[in-house]
Amino acid sequence: MALKRINKELSDLGRDPPSSCSAGPVGQDLFHWQATIMGPSDSPYSGGVFFLSIHFPTDYPFKPPKVTFTTRIYHPNVNTNGSICLDILKENWSPALTISKVLLSICSMLTDPNPDDPLVPDIGHLYKNDRARYDATAKEWTKKYAV
Amino acid sequence: MPRTTKLRLTVIAADQLYKRDVFRLPDPFAVVLVDGGQTRTTSVIKKTLNPYWNESFDVDVTPSSIIVVQIFDHKKFKKKDQGFLGVINIRVGDVLNLAQGGDEMITKDLRKANDSLVVNGKIILNLSTNTAGRRATGASSAAGSTAPSTASVSAAARTNLPDISSLSVDNSSVRSSSTSHSATPSATTNSTSTSALNGANNTTGTTTTTGPPAGAPTATTTSTAARPAPNSRGFSSFEDQFGRLPTGWERRTDNLGRTYYVDHNNRSTTWTRPANSQNESESRQARQNNTNLERQRHQNRTLPEERAQSPTLGSHNRTGSGATAGSSSGAAGGGAAAGGVAATSPGGTPRSASDAVAMTMSGATTPALGELPVGWEQRFTPEGRPYFVDHNTRTTTWVDPRRQQYIRMYGGTNAAGGTNTTVQQMSVSHLGPLPSGWEMRLTNTARVYFVDHNTKTTTWEDPRLPSSLDQSVPQYKRDFRRKLIYFRSQPALRILPGQCHIKVRRDHIFEDSYQEIMRQTPQDLQKRLMIKFDGEEGLDYGGVSREFFFLLSHEMFNPFYCLFEYSAHDNYTLQINPHSGINPEHLNYFKFIGRCVGLAIFHRRFLDAFFIGAFYKMILKKKVMLEDMEGVDADYHRNLEWALDNDITDVLDLTFSVEDDQFGEIVTIDLKPDGRNIEVTNDNKIEYVELVTEWRISKRVEEQFQAFVSGFYELIPQELVNVFDERELELLIGGIADIDVDDWKKHTDYRGYSESDEVIKWFWQCIRSWDSEQKSRLLQFTTGTSRIPVNGFKDLQGSDGPRRFTIEKAGEAQHLPKSHTCFNRVDLPPYKNYEDLVKKLSMAVEETVGFGQE
Repeated sequence: MALKRINKELSDLGRDPPSSCSAGPVGQDLFHWQATIMGPSDSPYSGGVFFLSIHFPTDYPFKPPKVTFTTRIYHPNVNTNGSICLDILKENWSPALTISKVLLSICSMLTDPNPDDPLVPDIGHLYKNDRARYDATAKEWTKKYAV
Repeated sequence: MPRTTKLRLTVIAADQLYKRDVFRLPDPFAVVLVDGGQTRTTSVIKKTLNPYWNESFDVDVTPSSIIVVQIFDHKKFKKKDQGFLGVINIRVGDVLNLAQGGDEMITKDLRKANDSLVVNGKIILNLSTNTAGRRATGASSAAGSTAPSTASVSAAARTNLPDISSLSVDNSSVRSSSTSHSATPSATTNSTSTSALNGANNTTGTTTTTGPPAGAPTATTTSTAARPAPNSRGFSSFEDQFGRLPTGWERRTDNLGRTYYVDHNNRSTTWTRPANSQNESESRQARQNNTNLERQRHQNRTLPEERAQSPTLGSHNRTGSGATAGSSSGAAGGGAAAGGVAATSPGGTPRSASDAVAMTMSGATTPALGELPVGWEQRFTPEGRPYFVDHNTRTTTWVDPRRQQYIRMYGGTNAAGGTNTTVQQMSVSHLGPLPSGWEMRLTNTARVYFVDHNTKTTTWEDPRLPSSLDQSVPQYKRDFRRKLIYFRSQPALRILPGQCHIKVRRDHIFEDSYQEIMRQTPQDLQKRLMIKFDGEEGLDYGGVSREFFFLLSHEMFNPFYCLFEYSAHDNYTLQINPHSGINPEHLNYFKFIGRCVGLAIFHRRFLDAFFIGAFYKMILKKKVMLEDMEGVDADYHRNLEWALDNDITDVLDLTFSVEDDQFGEIVTIDLKPDGRNIEVTNDNKIEYVELVTEWRISKRVEEQFQAFVSGFYELIPQELVNVFDERELELLIGGIADIDVDDWKKHTDYRGYSESDEVIKWFWQCIRSWDSEQKSRLLQFTTGTSRIPVNGFKDLQGSDGPRRFTIEKAGEAQHLPKSHTCFNRVDLPPYKNYEDLVKKLSMAVEETVGFGQE
């Protein structure tokens, strides 16, 4: 069941690509994609290109895709393993969502982190209390890892 | 010929080697061959699929040198295939620039040789041009002083880190690299997560019985393991964001993305991260304590019929519902209902008709309850056991007629003054014929009784009716105790004359039991069970077999064997592993496990194992429904429901087929003929949901399940076990725990209520007044299983991690409480008074199997 849907998402992406992201399968395996997100210009990630890995479970879309950053990023909702804390990738996943929508959500998460539910509490704390230092570190990491 | 360079090659470890024997682990060692000339051999590591050698060799190489590392099982080295466990080839120039020098960690999937022997796992090597330092001399020496190995591993971890960004770019080739090593060797570098076919032998396998049962995570057979686990990147598997794991520990991720920890020192696994401070003996002690706790819990498990001697009468609220009164009579009832009227033997003592049921019920009669009926007399056997003589019918019975009277009166009051006989006759008319060999008779007082000519016994109980006295109360009343007594009294469940000897070694309980239990016929297994542990004194008067089933259940359901796995719903209910076929013998094992479950029920022992609700339903041959999916995979369930509730046109793009990942190979399976070409539309989605549910829960494990029940039904006939519902079957197999209400209350959260609210006080007052069975049923109702985590309610798991028991204020006072098993939550309406709460809660708990709530 998943294959048909994944194929459809792929062709939709090709026909109407979202701005600032791209995604597609890695090699022959349609269940494993790689995606890129351009750091949003109104964020400290501006100028960076972030790679993500996407794994579709075989029961997709009844189960959410597994999406992780492969490029390191300094963000309260992404940990050093690249794991992303985003409700739509977990309990709020719905079969009506698509990879395209997921990537857009991640983009907006880059602009607007959710420091109240941080995966990395230290970064969340910094974001709330010393935005300048947070911005500086995020910029520095972007330069170091994502440019 | 270019100049040679000294290279230090460290064979660090291998991971998840193939397990060629079901019960025995290999003794792996590695042989290093450079350019077909220089040969080095590591030491032999005993009994493991994850050998850790950490041995360094200095070899002379050129950039075009080929290093071959082969792994063998030392036990089989003399055999034909030499116990071959895999090989890798490395061209030095591909991984290291010798001219510049360097240090490279290499993780490669082991490959097959020319023959077709299956190979699994990967090997971790280090190549370094720095040969100045001291060479690592192996894990064995490191075991004593942990310093050297730790250092080298952390060095390995360090070298991993700077490569992360490059790895992420190369990630794309990771998957293909597992098939074409030599082409892209650099891609495999550091990608410790690319273990391709993470098959049966997933080494959690070394898990011992002492592992925490809630712990021991699954050996992942499913193919998601074929892909890089998200958190194996960035950190080596020997550390995480909290720092390094203790020596010998490793972090892994199972097929559902759950992180667990492998303790290679003790060959066990656990969900909880080991504390660094814990040394080996402390952690062993902790594990031991855990097992003892589990054992204690296990041994305290009971079934209502066995509570006969506890004075439950007094503690019961007799003014409560009829149900309570009925089951409280269970104090005496064990004998009462099962006993029946035995023929008087010449000596005037009752012949128990060699009825095992009656025998175990000795002492089951209650203190006197007033005058005996006319024509009755109480006598005592030479052993002092009371029995009753009915001079009217010239029969004797263990059953106190006053007890019988009480139950009958109870039936009578409900029938609004009708006599007991009419109650019984009413029921008789629409029940159909009696089972073969049974006869209905009347006593000279016109009371109906039943003769079983098969066993030459008589009983007041109508064999067609598990709860023959309950027909005047609403039919949804479930009386587990009565069903049990009926069940136990059936001829097919009687212990045959003779003895069944089973001798096992404690450390090899699975394999020994398999031999012992499969070599005997089902008839042999129905004789008195005599378990003996090799080298241990002790006659089996119950204690030994209790221990036997306790240990055996930890082994045979251990996900390491890939026969069963934990459901996605929580970390402890079991389901059949759909990929168990990795073990070609799996069906024989399922049959064996089926026999063991049957054997335990037959001999009244419990297994320390709890399954998903659907598994019990399958044993009862009930249809699996969408709601059963909740206990298997809560997310999947939620989204299937979403599909039913929403217009799926142009949203889902499904066909009547599923993709199954079988060890990395995606196979399309039709849910109905040519399903892959039939679209799922809004009109046929109900059918789709039904079919996909059936596939996910039962069809996918059809073969395994059939093997299981073929063994099970050999001991427990299907028509007999069918008197139970799925929740009762869980209690029958696992027993009823003695639940600590204080612990329960202490680890309960409230939403909309506070602990001081009247309703909450009533709630706990009600729970405390209940017997263990009712408490267990409340747990089944709210959490989906009667299992309690070994460390108590604080460790309760929901579908999304730890979830404390929660009471939420929801619903109208006239409604029944509802439950959300994924979240261990009960929605409790604000009832007006205690009686109302008791009534509504009991009803919800007892009647929600097979009956809709509301």
